[in-house]
Amino acid sequence: MKPLALIGTVLAVAAVTAALLLSGSSYAVQVAITALIFVILTASLNLVTGTAGLMTLGHAAFYGVGAYAAALLSTKLGLSFWVTLPLAGLVTAFFGFLVALPTMRLTSIYFAVATLAIGEMIVVAITNWTGFTRGPMGIRGIPSITVFGHEGLTVNLLVVLAATLVSVWAIWRLTHSYYGNGLRALREDDQCAEAMGLNAVRLKIEVFTIACFFAGIAGALFAHTSGYISPESFRFGESILLLTMAVVGGLGSVPGSAIGAIILIVLPELLRGAGNVRMVAVGVVLFLCILFLPKGLFGEVSALAFARNQLRRAGLGWSR
Amino acid sequence: MFDVHFLQQIVNGLSLGLVYALVAIGFTLIFGVLNVVNFAHGEVYTIGAFAGLLLITSVAPPLFAVLLVVAAVGALTGFGLERLAFKPFRRFRDEASIKSRAMREATLLSSLALSIVAREVLDLAFGGEMQVIPQSYLLQTPIMIGGVALTDGNLVILGASILMLAGLQWMLYRTRTGLAIRAVSNNVLGAQFVGINTERAIVATFLVGSMLGAVAGIMVGLYDGSIFPHMGFGPAVKAFVAMVMGGLSSIPGAVISALILGVAESVATDFVSAGWKDLIAYGFLIVTLVFFPRGIFGYSRERV
Amino acid sequence: MKSLVRTIVAVALGAALVAPAAAQEIYIGYQAPLTGTQSQYGEVFRNAATMQLEKFNAAGGVGGRKVVIVWEDSKSDPKEAVAIGRKFVDDKRIVGVLGDFASGPSMAVGEVYAKEGMAQLSQTASHPDYTKISKWQFRNITTQAQEGPYNAKWLKDLGVKNVAVLALQNDWGLSAAENFQKSFEQLGGKATTEYFNPGTRDFRSILTKVQRTNPDAVYLAMFYEEGALLLQQAKQLGMKVPFYSTSALYAPKLIELGGDAVDGMKLTTTFDANNPAANVRAFVEDYKKRYGQEPNQFAAQGYDATGIMLEALKRAGPNATRAQVRDALAATKDYPGVTGATTFDPQTREPSKTLAKMEVKGGKFVVMPQQ
Repeated sequence: MKPLALIGTVLAVAAVTAALLLSGSSYAVQVAITALIFVILTASLNLVTGTAGLMTLGHAAFYGVGAYAAALLSTKLGLSFWVTLPLAGLVTAFFGFLVALPTMRLTSIYFAVATLAIGEMIVVAITNWTGFTRGPMGIRGIPSITVFGHEGLTVNLLVVLAATLVSVWAIWRLTHSYYGNGLRALREDDQCAEAMGLNAVRLKIEVFTIACFFAGIAGALFAHTSGYISPESFRFGESILLLTMAVVGGLGSVPGSAIGAIILIVLPELLRGAGNVRMVAVGVVLFLCILFLPKGLFGEVSALAFARNQLRRAGLGWSR
Repeated sequence: MFDVHFLQQIVNGLSLGLVYALVAIGFTLIFGVLNVVNFAHGEVYTIGAFAGLLLITSVAPPLFAVLLVVAAVGALTGFGLERLAFKPFRRFRDEASIKSRAMREATLLSSLALSIVAREVLDLAFGGEMQVIPQSYLLQTPIMIGGVALTDGNLVILGASILMLAGLQWMLYRTRTGLAIRAVSNNVLGAQFVGINTERAIVATFLVGSMLGAVAGIMVGLYDGSIFPHMGFGPAVKAFVAMVMGGLSSIPGAVISALILGVAESVATDFVSAGWKDLIAYGFLIVTLVFFPRGIFGYSRERV
Repeated sequence: MKSLVRTIVAVALGAALVAPAAAQEIYIGYQAPLTGTQSQYGEVFRNAATMQLEKFNAAGGVGGRKVVIVWEDSKSDPKEAVAIGRKFVDDKRIVGVLGDFASGPSMAVGEVYAKEGMAQLSQTASHPDYTKISKWQFRNITTQAQEGPYNAKWLKDLGVKNVAVLALQNDWGLSAAENFQKSFEQLGGKATTEYFNPGTRDFRSILTKVQRTNPDAVYLAMFYEEGALLLQQAKQLGMKVPFYSTSALYAPKLIELGGDAVDGMKLTTTFDANNPAANVRAFVEDYKKRYGQEPNQFAAQGYDATGIMLEALKRAGPNATRAQVRDALAATKDYPGVTGATTFDPQTREPSKTLAKMEVKGGKFVVMPQQ
């Protein structure tokens, strides 16, 4: 990232946070928290789907694993948020590792459908294993985040923001490294990548585990900020929402994931005024977005340039 | 264990499987040609069901006529869907764009966006609740055969599936349109080079695939007795699973996988609580994929 | 694209600007699924609440001031429900909240109202822990802790020994099935429960499994849509066993959907559309006239919940704070609703209502004579 862009981003984030806190609108803060959690989720999904090219349709279930891990650890063992946060990440990463072992030899759509199936299996298990997860009753009374004895919405926002920044930074570093180049090589042609000496299966397992770690972190943040979780938050529809965010933002692009997640959380809220036609409007906006920005709002740099050229040539006249 | 109830479970499973199969046929056809998942297929199924219901409540024609009109509505929906969600993304003719992942994922999401719009518009127009279906049209008249209960719905769905499958195979292997569709599904660029009108082949695929989806919608609606705006989701997911198990481009493979899936789910109910039975179906899929990474009936082909 | 953005901005600004103009009104929030898979329930609540509100305002409102309901669509999604909760809490004019529909979103948003101090009255949330969240949670639905034992005793008195319970795998179905099974077993009967996941539309394999165990009766813990489908499919499989159910199946739609397949099913209910009582007659006739259909149990629940909230506002006076509204709600005693007289237990904030037995006969719900 260029220094100027970095400074700009930092200033923008700080300004928005300050504006949110000064506005005194807890509604806006709540929406911001949800949006930030989805930024982590989308960025981690994008690592697998965008950078490494493995389409996954079960990411929300891993988010659920993280949320349930945090909720169970804190309500049953009385652990504090600062312990459950990393533990939830690790538990989810371990889960992801186990799932990755048998499925990583699958390619393209086969892998996608395998993740769909595993996601549904996790949700079915959470819903029906009532003795352990309390099933559809959900888990209530998850302690909220405390920092030096302070708690509340402002603390939640700041902690979630910090976690988001760290996660996004980590994913950014990962994407823009030799490791990230390896992943991109996998995406473009895994046979070729193997011929070049990359261990494709191992890379895939690693990247899936890492993405699951961040999904788990997001889950723990969700559990502790909302205080109540139930299986319906982690179903297939949520995975599709995550995928949509990644594509609207731009596959393979970290800032794109952030923008995509923020847009798709904030847009339905802005459209509340539209009443009943709200979801229709969301669908239409999504459609128009894809139609006119097929590479996402912030595609990978090369992709963006490519799309712009194409669109200009096609006479659609889209430019800055 | 192996009593008349077990036999009944198998029958239940086969009829469930046929339902999945009906949806999977159209799904597989479209995937085979464009290599993308058409997320709006479930909504085509729903639109078919609603079109049939409107016809039944307003004109009350015989069932056969209902199916024909629904097929026409389905074809029309498919045409519109292709124009709106898929055609705009084929505006680039160069090889890089045709093979580009981002372009393919764009159509995946454009179909998803349209499916949201279609579903919510239906929801606004009809309300989210299950629609009342005139009793005389329900395909639920029991036919008892030695303790095992069949219904006329089973027979209609079975007959329709066989007819559709046979018709489809005939079209794919005995007509020029079918030849063009197979050529496009094999290699788009190649098909273009030898002068095949790929646009027409793709549109034809959508017409046929959506026609089948819509007919499936109304038949299943009448068989289960439930028509509502969100009805397409469940069968579409299971059909998707069946398609992949069957090896993506093999239509008979998808049908057989759908039947296996249905029977597995149904028989599993006997052994585990019904809440857990989805675990069996999906577990089945995972095991299949681990041992047959390209589906049971898929053939390994060279990757382009 | 641009004009769409402009429209959105205009709508958002419009909503923000219009609001402060009418300061004389008293505001309450109502959150319900108005879109999404459960929108059929949200629509019914909106219909019923609108009726109740218009009647209340026409009768003079709170000391001459009108009450306004702010509607928000939660899609039955917990994360949206929480955002709405924050929105209502931020809106200083709002002094009380009705909703949400399903227990998941109601519980999630309940945490917000508990922290920020806003009375929440759900017409339907039946999760056993819902009212345990805090002193701010109320509900206007008989919990299964009341209905389950009542039904268990009913079946036991009829000489039923072996019951198969079929339950929807959600918080409501779980508590309905557990409460029934526990009391039925305490009475010396035998009950086995089979759960199915939400969204199930084909019940044939579950029914076949039940057929094999050959129970004396089947107890249905589910909502009317599933109920109608299940009974149709049971008829088709040639099942002759008697079916019993909870108040959740009390909906005219059940008979419309299920036809003659639902004939003979017995259930308990708090609301009876054929009740000759004047307030029920007025409600049913007005509802039919406005919306062209008979009100179901959910409409009655929404109607009464709104009524209870409005009465509490009236008692709390025109300038009541949120805390005063809560206390007024907690003091609700013998509210004469269409679902019977409602009183909140001051400790548990649970309602108690009287139950009646019903049977579906010749395409109609008929109240069974009390023994």
